[in-house]
Amino acid sequence: MNWFKKSSKKEEHTLPQVLEYLKKSGDFLDFQNPQSPTPYWISYFRSLVDAEIIHRDILPYLNKTTIKKIEELKAALPIENVMVTSDLETIRQMMLSGCVLIRLNEKDQQGVLVKAEMNKVREISIPEEEFSVVGPKESFVESITTNLNLIRKRLPVPELEIREFKLGKLSKTRVAVIYISGIANEENINTALQRVGEIEIHQILDSSYVSQLISDNDNSPFPQLIDTERPDRVAGVLSEGSIVILVDGSPHALIGPTTLVKFFSALEDYFLNWQLASVLRILRLIAVSFSILITPIYVAVLNYHYELIPKDLMATLISSRDFVPLPPFLEALVLELTIELLREAGARLPTKVGQTIGIVGGIVIGTASVEAGLTSNVMLIIVALAALASFTTPVYKMSNAIRLIRFPFLVLAELWGMIGISIAFIFLMGHLLRLTSFGRPYLEPIYPPRLEDLKDAFVRLPFKTQPKRPVQLQSQDTVKFSEKAAKEKKDIDE
Amino acid sequence: MKVTVKEQFLISPYLAFFIVHSMQIGVGVMGFQRYVATYTEQDSWLTVMMGGAAVHLVIWMMYKMLNKEQGDILSIHETAYGKWIGRLLTILFIIYLIAMGITVLRTFLEVLQVWMFTLMKTWVFTFVYLIAAYHIIAGGFRSVVGVCFLGVVVPFYLNFTFLAPLEFSNVRNLFPILDHSIKDFIVAMKPMTLSYLGFETLLVFYPFFKKPETSQKWFHYGNLFTVVLYFYLMLITLVYYTPDHLRRTIWATISMWKIIRFPFVERFEYIGLATWTIVILPNICLAFWAASRMAKRMFNVTQKKSLIFILVFAMIVSPMFDDRTSIEKLNMMVSQFGFYFNFGYIPLLFFFHYFMSKVRNKA
Repeated sequence: MNWFKKSSKKEEHTLPQVLEYLKKSGDFLDFQNPQSPTPYWISYFRSLVDAEIIHRDILPYLNKTTIKKIEELKAALPIENVMVTSDLETIRQMMLSGCVLIRLNEKDQQGVLVKAEMNKVREISIPEEEFSVVGPKESFVESITTNLNLIRKRLPVPELEIREFKLGKLSKTRVAVIYISGIANEENINTALQRVGEIEIHQILDSSYVSQLISDNDNSPFPQLIDTERPDRVAGVLSEGSIVILVDGSPHALIGPTTLVKFFSALEDYFLNWQLASVLRILRLIAVSFSILITPIYVAVLNYHYELIPKDLMATLISSRDFVPLPPFLEALVLELTIELLREAGARLPTKVGQTIGIVGGIVIGTASVEAGLTSNVMLIIVALAALASFTTPVYKMSNAIRLIRFPFLVLAELWGMIGISIAFIFLMGHLLRLTSFGRPYLEPIYPPRLEDLKDAFVRLPFKTQPKRPVQLQSQDTVKFSEKAAKEKKDIDE
Repeated sequence: MKVTVKEQFLISPYLAFFIVHSMQIGVGVMGFQRYVATYTEQDSWLTVMMGGAAVHLVIWMMYKMLNKEQGDILSIHETAYGKWIGRLLTILFIIYLIAMGITVLRTFLEVLQVWMFTLMKTWVFTFVYLIAAYHIIAGGFRSVVGVCFLGVVVPFYLNFTFLAPLEFSNVRNLFPILDHSIKDFIVAMKPMTLSYLGFETLLVFYPFFKKPETSQKWFHYGNLFTVVLYFYLMLITLVYYTPDHLRRTIWATISMWKIIRFPFVERFEYIGLATWTIVILPNICLAFWAASRMAKRMFNVTQKKSLIFILVFAMIVSPMFDDRTSIEKLNMMVSQFGFYFNFGYIPLLFFFHYFMSKVRNKA
């Protein structure tokens, strides 16, 4: 099949041939401008180029003077991104990314490339997934340039380094690895650069592509990189020594290395006072364990360990289950699946319809199934609470993982009761112990235990007590600010 | 002979605290009180402390040898006896480690079969449990130590549940104090020290510490913590049970859970036993890890292969012990071996190693 390749190469020998090839696309323009004193040729992709730039910044200047040489043409234009070249590959690439090619004659081998790309971007809006009542209301958009600007604005230091890659054979997506040199650990930086650099894929549509391609263990249900839409969160973790990856076309930045507990910290925790923030964090962790464990415990208790429940409480449970024909496990499974269905339907439908479906589905199906005697109302309460609790996770991908791991717990609870739940816990524990993020332990600061990092894990202690960067990130410069000034104490009446 | 381990697999010395504690707490805790109290009755709390002191001494000896050797039991044996006898004795040690893992798993399962699921099939549970163990051990020593750490931290709340029996206990059960002869104490020391077994895995994982010498302090602290815990349990058992009642109670610790009562939970032993599934995990993981590690050191096989071999062996053997007497026999055998190994063989080895290393240095 060699001849096939050759024939496509053949066309690239001369510039006119290249243009001829590009003309096959309907949105490619190549014409001579007859009005100007110099009859130059201009060619570009209509769909990539901003017509306003051409009419305002290019054409008027070319129509003013007569131009003999291509250098004069370059000098005539008031734009700094002007390039004289005869390299066919560059010309092709640049035109495909929004450049205008200007030649003096139709058969010229040389042309001037002027950047006139169309920049249609979404306006910066408020964060939707990670909304916070207090704090900044900006969120990332699809354009990587805007996103980088949002980060740079918050960290105006020359040490903030950005390494760019072009990934994807077809999509040629810009991917930027961002870190603060001198703070981020060299090993982490190298891991990130190496993994991103080695990506082999035809197309990158979103940062989650990158996240899946570079995570340490892609068989794990747990996300190993935090994805966030908040530039303030990104600026915060950069200054701690994390590494951030931005992908053009994606409003989500990736943060690594990270740990399990960080997925349960919302950015708002840092905007509130530390007591409230700590309580909220603990509440979230309790909610997650509740969400995973409560249905399995219910099934285990009703199946095997009814002695566990005191007599009075047992009476309530029994009377609510009195007419239910299904065993607890099936009852739980049916309800869990119903809730998952509602959630999935709500996520797929447009917002307004989705809300209605959620309410109608939740209330109508719930009440009706209890009244029909298919499920007990205690079970309904438990499952609904568990679903509600799983929504408290600030990072969406983590709440998906929690949604998933509930089911093995449920099955093992059906098999061996409480012991089954313990066994499931052991599997989970073993899995989490082995998991890493950019080669750093995922379960830190629980294991390996690090007291310094526990100050900002299950609780968030005051800023003054944390003058050092997290041990987890192995930062080169461990000191955030001087401890002495922060800890200055005064005696009474002094 | 120095054994070196790659840097990224090393662990911090302070984790020795959790390793030794998690290894010592296993199935023994559930019913050690009866065996000790047979001999020293109300004075058993003293036996607990004496046993702990003896263990401290043995740990000290082990560290003396290991510090000199900077290796593991294989290097000690080879210095002491030369290559062939040394290897033969190490094989015995490996068999002991495997037997220890099997014993813990089988005994715990027996408790489950008695207390919760009478009809539970031995092999099914063993199979699932060993898959979990394989998953953890395959993560290397770091994840095994992680299990040791979590195996201490996660079930820690259980220690507070033992306060509940105090409501119904009587301090007068402890009197008269010190009413037994020294001979009684010495006899009672044996069943007591059995509950402390497990720390001998140190002879395998010593080279995995960063600056191994510094871990000795933490190892002793860990043992001390076990002593305190046993002391606490023994004291509560003694004031709660009358001597007669204790003699008839096989699993004194579990029976104490029965009286805990919350507005939403009764019969706490179900929750206690479920948590205990996590407590015994370090025992099994570390024992099998150590056995497979020694097999790797000796026979030039990959640790993965030796581990799978050991787990399959455990899988086949466990269901063979299918009644109380055979399990009791297995327990007796392993603990007898462990007792003589730690308190008879280690001191002997200590002196022998001391002389032999002198001799070899001169030569």
